Amino acid sequence: MKKKDLIAIAETWFQEKNWKPFPFQKKTWNAFLQGKHGLLNAPTGSGKTYALWAPIVLEYIKDNPDYKTKKKKGIKAIWITPLRALSVEIQQAAQRFADDLETDLTIGIRTGDTSQSERAKQKRAMPDLLITTPESLMLLLASKGYDKTFKTLTAIVIDEWHELLGSKRGVQVELALSRLKTVCPKLRIWGVSATIGNLEQAQQVLLGVDENAVKNSVLIKDSKKKKITVKSIIPKKMETFPWRGHLGLHLLEDIVPIIKNSKTTIIFTNTRGQCEIWFQKLLEKHPEFAGEIAMHHGSIAKDTRLWVEQAIRNESLTAVVATSSLDLGVDFAPVETIIQIGGPKGVAKFLQRAGRSNHRPGEASVIYFLPTHALELIEASALKKAVKERVIEDRIPYLLSFDVLIQYLVTLAVSNGFIPAEIFKEVKNTFCFQGITEEQWQWCLNFITIGSQSLQSYDEYKRVEVTPQGLFKVESRRVAMMHRLSIGTIVSDSMLMVKYVSGGFIGTIEEFFIGKMKPGDTFVFAGRTLELVRLRNMVAQVRRSKKKTNKVVSFMGGRMTLSSQMSEILREELQSEADHKRNTPELKALRHLFERQELESIIPRENEFLIESFKTREGYHTIFYPFEGRFVHEAMSGLLAYRISLLSPITFSLAYNDYGFELLCDQPLDVQQIIDNNLFSTDYLFSDLQKSINATELARRKFRDIAVISGLVFQGYPNKMVKTKHLQSSSQLLFDVFRDYEADNLLYQQAFRETYEHQLEEGRLRLALERINKQEIIWKKCNKPTPFSFPIITDRLREKLSSEKLADRIKKMKLQLEK
Amino acid sequence: MTQTITIQGETFILDPTGSVFWQSKNLLLIADVHLGKVAHFRKYGAAVPSKASSKNYDKLEEVIARHKPETICFLGDLFHSTLNNEWNIFETWVKKKPTKIILVSGNHDIISPHKFEALGIEVLDQLKIDSFLLTHHPTEKEKIFNFSGHIHPGVRMRGPGRQTLKLACFFRTNNQMILPAFGNFTGKYILQPSEKDTVYAIVENEVICVS
Repeated sequence: MKKKDLIAIAETWFQEKNWKPFPFQKKTWNAFLQGKHGLLNAPTGSGKTYALWAPIVLEYIKDNPDYKTKKKKGIKAIWITPLRALSVEIQQAAQRFADDLETDLTIGIRTGDTSQSERAKQKRAMPDLLITTPESLMLLLASKGYDKTFKTLTAIVIDEWHELLGSKRGVQVELALSRLKTVCPKLRIWGVSATIGNLEQAQQVLLGVDENAVKNSVLIKDSKKKKITVKSIIPKKMETFPWRGHLGLHLLEDIVPIIKNSKTTIIFTNTRGQCEIWFQKLLEKHPEFAGEIAMHHGSIAKDTRLWVEQAIRNESLTAVVATSSLDLGVDFAPVETIIQIGGPKGVAKFLQRAGRSNHRPGEASVIYFLPTHALELIEASALKKAVKERVIEDRIPYLLSFDVLIQYLVTLAVSNGFIPAEIFKEVKNTFCFQGITEEQWQWCLNFITIGSQSLQSYDEYKRVEVTPQGLFKVESRRVAMMHRLSIGTIVSDSMLMVKYVSGGFIGTIEEFFIGKMKPGDTFVFAGRTLELVRLRNMVAQVRRSKKKTNKVVSFMGGRMTLSSQMSEILREELQSEADHKRNTPELKALRHLFERQELESIIPRENEFLIESFKTREGYHTIFYPFEGRFVHEAMSGLLAYRISLLSPITFSLAYNDYGFELLCDQPLDVQQIIDNNLFSTDYLFSDLQKSINATELARRKFRDIAVISGLVFQGYPNKMVKTKHLQSSSQLLFDVFRDYEADNLLYQQAFRETYEHQLEEGRLRLALERINKQEIIWKKCNKPTPFSFPIITDRLREKLSSEKLADRIKKMKLQLEK
Repeated sequence: MTQTITIQGETFILDPTGSVFWQSKNLLLIADVHLGKVAHFRKYGAAVPSKASSKNYDKLEEVIARHKPETICFLGDLFHSTLNNEWNIFETWVKKKPTKIILVSGNHDIISPHKFEALGIEVLDQLKIDSFLLTHHPTEKEKIFNFSGHIHPGVRMRGPGRQTLKLACFFRTNNQMILPAFGNFTGKYILQPSEKDTVYAIVENEVICVS
């Protein structure tokens, strides 16, 4: 059958449904049938499933003209999705198309939720299309004979590629693709991505450093742009609106009419804790919402989440309070309105959330922005501008992630075993590992075979063994099982399951929260008040409680940083404020606050760098305002504190937010000294950063993931915590051991590299310092904290840096006593 | 660098390695060395640097040279797990030592006592000397002062400018002293002392009373 005839089949199917294919769908069909690879840039809920599944089926029809009577065995395609929740939707859409065309093709799902019996069935006969996650694909590569299983593959589709790209799961995908390319000669690789700043690079990462593949590929963009309207919720009484905070509950009443006037509303919060609190407060203040509103976040049991998603679709809910767990995925047609609580920190994320509403063509998506403290209104103003100008952030891919490589090599050793020379060629062709040297490769091989770089006497290290034929293979069944279990582990703080005493799973909760509670204490989780009955084997057993409590479950981490694009627009907005133009309603509303700021200090212009100092009961505060986002501030505060500490022994406590950072000290700080000594210099930046203590602290945190992924830390068998106790250690302990005895370990060094590249954003830091060096430094000595400083000095998440002798510091400190 | 204290008229020296030297009895107390932990991890495929293990012997030599004890009493968890090659190293080390060695066994000590006894090491559940009781698990007994390990005690210190630090420590209550873990591949458990407790923190090479 010719390409034209094949496409006609798909078009006819669309006509029968009374649909019309979009231009991007047709373009994708054509490119795929020409045998090309590619990246499809299309937003969520735009028919991307049919853009790629249709040509896979058409290709099958072409290769098997008598497909209606004789079915060809073997898997045809893999569809990778980052979220398990999306798989059902894709399955239904794909099945409908396959059935209507009478192809008899089967579609199966394999994720962490798939039952053992279903997996066994799949092992005997793979479905024609397998929908799976990156981890589950890795697990398939860890089973014997995967090469025979996948030989018949004609296509692999990576959905939501933008989401995977900036993460280590993206590296897993890159490595899996490098293997599949060899195993399946007819493989076509396709990615689907929402709009990001570096789409071309995203395409390159997907295809690897393989000139032929890149040449034979296309980038297809859905040219249709959605209209988006941003409305800020401006407090009626600005005078009483707080200067700090992150919950935004002051404006709760303002969103009630919005909810009531719209069919379905999604209220996006930035953290799971915030989500819990908003849900609770909405019900408390408006009991009439009971049964009409729901909550959705990643720690709630899957069944509940699916129920909520279904309820949104059939319009039985008025509002859903959610976190980024609802950012991705399938269409929720009835959603009319989106409310964003607190700064979304990035334009791409904000646009994606806005896009969740109102899919009627031609109509604008409406998103309300609710500030959680006064200064966030500046962010709102900047956000509007960014949306108008369509400034979109990049996603930075990981480079040389040795932890993932080690995991991958053991995976291959667990299944068929591997010959290093063959695999090295494939690995070096991935984007992530294009820079890997022979030495680094050998290091990884030594790591998995002898556990160090030279053979030691008395050593019983055992993981991967080398056969006389040079095949790298795992022989021990125990090592193999431990490895398979660790592939899927989600790296996070120790998570505990929350269950009713009578059974019934409610969700997962972090150990640090539940660890502080005693049996009998009550807390709010998943919208219910629960009493802790007992903790047993990583399960918190609870029962319902009628007691009143204000303890709402909280979760660690997840603070986001302002993107560089947003930061720049923010500084522009301030410049206009310094000029007293007040040309947006948000800035007008902040008049009162700006006047307070100007009483003792200034609003910095684009060519000015503001430093404020004042004293409170807590000590001597010095605040710097680069307006570069919290990650850059984190790095800069550590750098500056380190450089000051070289001048004389001193101890700092550091705090930062998206606007600036603080050095808090028990003695006054001479800012003139900082300026005179040129401490904002970019000279020796890397070595100074490395010495500043918080780089080590940050690296220590990054090391946690690395230790788990590379198999240094084993998190235990599910529900069998006790038996592995002798093998449990904290990654913190390992980090110290490497620091003291094996500082050249590639995994240890990787923790630092990741810190500089992904956390401290060294590149951005350098640019920011260069900018400061061109600015005029304005030092204001104030009597009281200024409005700009307030959210920073009240931040409780702090880092420290000291050049005093430890023993001298201890003498100044107090023991923390029992509460 | 050490700290000398008196309990019930007896003199004890707290050593920054985490051990306690009982002067009049010429006895050194050491808790929670967890020998063989590194080897145990390596055996199951976690590549912990093996150098971390030899450091334990360096520390032992250092503290023995300082106090020259007649007897060493390990307060439990001397070995982390089942027999592995680390035992050979330990065997060689013990054979070279003229010091008498006693092991008060702990929850991790699952190696057969006969193996220890073959090396001339006495294995006990507890050891009572005068009005002092040496155990692995902290034990409350009237009129008796108890030295123990097991907990791996640590404390959190707070200072001006919102600084915090976690330090391993000797933790003393009215009639108990819990020793820090001696082994260098062991973590610590943060305790919250009350005002009646005395805490001696290990700060680099010093023992400092912080309460």
